Amino acid sequence: MLTPLEIIKKKRAEAVSRIISKGYLSTKRVYVGMATCEIAAGSKEVMDVFTEAVSKGLTDVYLSQKGCAGRCNLEPTVEVVEEGKIPVKYGKVNKERALEIVDRHLKNGQVIKEWLI
Amino acid sequence: MPNTEYIITLCDGPSCIHKGSRTVKDALEEAIAKHNMQDKVKIHLSGCLGMCSKGPIVIVNPGYTIYGSVTEADAAEIIEQHLINGKYVTRLVVDEDHLYNRFFRIFGDNDFFGKQMRITLRNCGIIDPENIDDYLSLRGYEALAKVLTELTPKDVIDEVKTSGLRGRGGGGFPTGVKWDFTANAPGDERYVICNADEGDPGAFMDRSAIEGDPHTILEGMAIAGYAIGSTKGIVYIRAEYPLAIKRLEKAIEDASKNNLLGDNILGSEFSFDIEIRLGAGAFVCGEETALIHSIEGSRGMPRPRPPYPSVKGLFGKPTLINNVETWANIPVIILDGGKWFSSIGTETSKGTKVFAVAGMVKNTGLVEVPMGTTLRNIVYDIGGGIEGGGKFKAIQTGGPSGGCLPEEYLDTKVDYESLAAVGSIMGSGGMIVIDEHSCMVDVAKFFLEFTQDESCGKCTPCREGTKRMLEILTRITQGKGKPGDIEKLERLGTMAQRSSLCGLGQSAPNPVLSTIKNFRQEYEDHIFNKKCVAGVCGALLTYTIIEKCVGCGACKRVCPTNAISGTRKQLHTIDQDACIKCGQCYDTCKFEAITKA
Ligand SMILES: Cc1cc2nc3c(=O)[nH]c(=O)nc-3n(C[C@H](O)[C@H](O)[C@H](O)COP(=O)(O)O)c2cc1C
Ligand code: SF4
Repeated sequence: MLTPLEIIKKKRAEAVSRIISKGYLSTKRVYVGMATCEIAAGSKEVMDVFTEAVSKGLTDVYLSQKGCAGRCNLEPTVEVVEEGKIPVKYGKVNKERALEIVDRHLKNGQVIKEWLI
Repeated sequence: MPNTEYIITLCDGPSCIHKGSRTVKDALEEAIAKHNMQDKVKIHLSGCLGMCSKGPIVIVNPGYTIYGSVTEADAAEIIEQHLINGKYVTRLVVDEDHLYNRFFRIFGDNDFFGKQMRITLRNCGIIDPENIDDYLSLRGYEALAKVLTELTPKDVIDEVKTSGLRGRGGGGFPTGVKWDFTANAPGDERYVICNADEGDPGAFMDRSAIEGDPHTILEGMAIAGYAIGSTKGIVYIRAEYPLAIKRLEKAIEDASKNNLLGDNILGSEFSFDIEIRLGAGAFVCGEETALIHSIEGSRGMPRPRPPYPSVKGLFGKPTLINNVETWANIPVIILDGGKWFSSIGTETSKGTKVFAVAGMVKNTGLVEVPMGTTLRNIVYDIGGGIEGGGKFKAIQTGGPSGGCLPEEYLDTKVDYESLAAVGSIMGSGGMIVIDEHSCMVDVAKFFLEFTQDESCGKCTPCREGTKRMLEILTRITQGKGKPGDIEKLERLGTMAQRSSLCGLGQSAPNPVLSTIKNFRQEYEDHIFNKKCVAGVCGALLTYTIIEKCVGCGACKRVCPTNAISGTRKQLHTIDQDACIKCGQCYDTCKFEAITKA
């Protein structure tokens, strides 16, 4: 019989492969803050922009929600993480900014420096 | 971040500095300059990274390569090998998978985040809280599996004792000792409760912790269940936190489906369930005995202790109550070890503490730092200093019942004892920065209004004492203060502190007593000179029109009592007897021709 530790290690491996099958290894991972504070600051709209972009064919992107990192006055925040590059953190993202992040950063690899935290 | 390709994080914690991190920094800079890489590499100094035994620590990003015991000579090698040739300096790599500080991979290069140390909030902001796979992938529930596989209940309690962890709900009671008491109290059934009432206005760390990483709390509670011999856990959370509740419910459901809660967890003999109870949001219901009454269905009022809940708690059974933040530390203590945990912090206060920093500070938000960090570090290094360029006046720590500390206390370390020694409290971790534009009498009145309103009314000193104190404060801010009022406040405050039943009444006078102690002059100005230097207490202000007036008449039109007179293009005047100090003229004037003092 397996010990609890052995079982949890198996569960972890399964969890990792499920995450990967959802596209975790895409070139870019996008995290949108979705806690009470972020949502109050308008992050649902922002999430919608990214979800729509993905459903309309934006590929090679892994989209995930996340809790609050604690940077209240710059919310909503969005991170774009790419292996081998310094993670990009955007603050005060609204619908318009999200649309531009999709166009300029996610599609064309251009970091929008003015909005960095 | 112009064309930065690499960010080198250098631990600037006390232990690493002691081991020479500052000379490593110089050597790194020299090597970077030598290879003309100043534009491409940014050096970021972080707070303690929790790897003191391996210091000085250097982390190279991207890639999150951790180098330990770095010497001056190694610095050049790291630049040349890693940054230029793209090869690891294998001999120095620290290959450890810790739970803490994971968020550094994404947030480590930023001053606000990079100077923090995250144990409690380690996963907040980096995982999807509604997906158990995310939590599992970061060694989630491994601590629970470890105690079920390798540790006896007593081992677990000993590990928590070794860690030196103290309750984060305000009281600061040693957690391991509390577990021990509950485990050894006679009784056939025991309960584990998570206190997520979070009644302090302005505090939201518990909400954030649950919303960002709900499984951590469940895992901590299940570990305690095993340690004290309980099969039933309850999270008491306020109904005003719908998203936190939703995520907790989902987490409980997912954990149950994965056999991480429920019967025979992970194939072991241990069974544990967790249910959620909603509180209606009374501040006093966060007090443990009131909380228990509330779960039992009676009115949320405190009762005298002893007996403590650990002996006689929910439905008369031994009950272990800990705060959300306390719970979130448990998996880390189990996996990284109580000994490691106790290496962070001060002599008497171990680990980190989350603060909700708000008020007149540039960067507001949640800040988690090792115990022993100074208030100055929090306000200036992490908080970025005073918003709007004003002057620092005071910092209020510990929520509505904490004390207000002036500038000379900025170097106070945050830990339970140091804050108490200067007349404030750790409380649940509220921190409000106050600048020169606030009146301290008014601030004290503001906090007392809250606690007075929330008093459950059971004991006279708290119920009546805070009411009388509030009356006196109100009268002082209205310019009707009398000689002897300060002494009366002190007497009433000390009485409520000494003779109230629960922490609410015992601590409610803190804002008043601490402002009297530290800002007595302001009270005297109000009472004797009828002056409010901060210009906040309306009734004590005089509005005057000065030479700059161009006679546009805007003020005259807005004044509700027609107290302003003057002909067009001539200097206007205010009839002080008719003025009700509403300030509308002051707000309207475009020429700064009206003063208030
Ligand atoms: C008026 C009052 C309000 C309190 N509110 C809370 C609260 O919101 N959350 C909390 O964890 N503890 C609160 N406490 C402290 C609890 O009584 C108790 O000490 C705590 O939950 C124990 O957990 P800990 O040892 O992990 O801190 C409050 C105490 C008082 C007197
Ligand atoms: S001190 Fe205040 S809140 Fe606490 S039991 Fe007494 S009256 Fe109620």
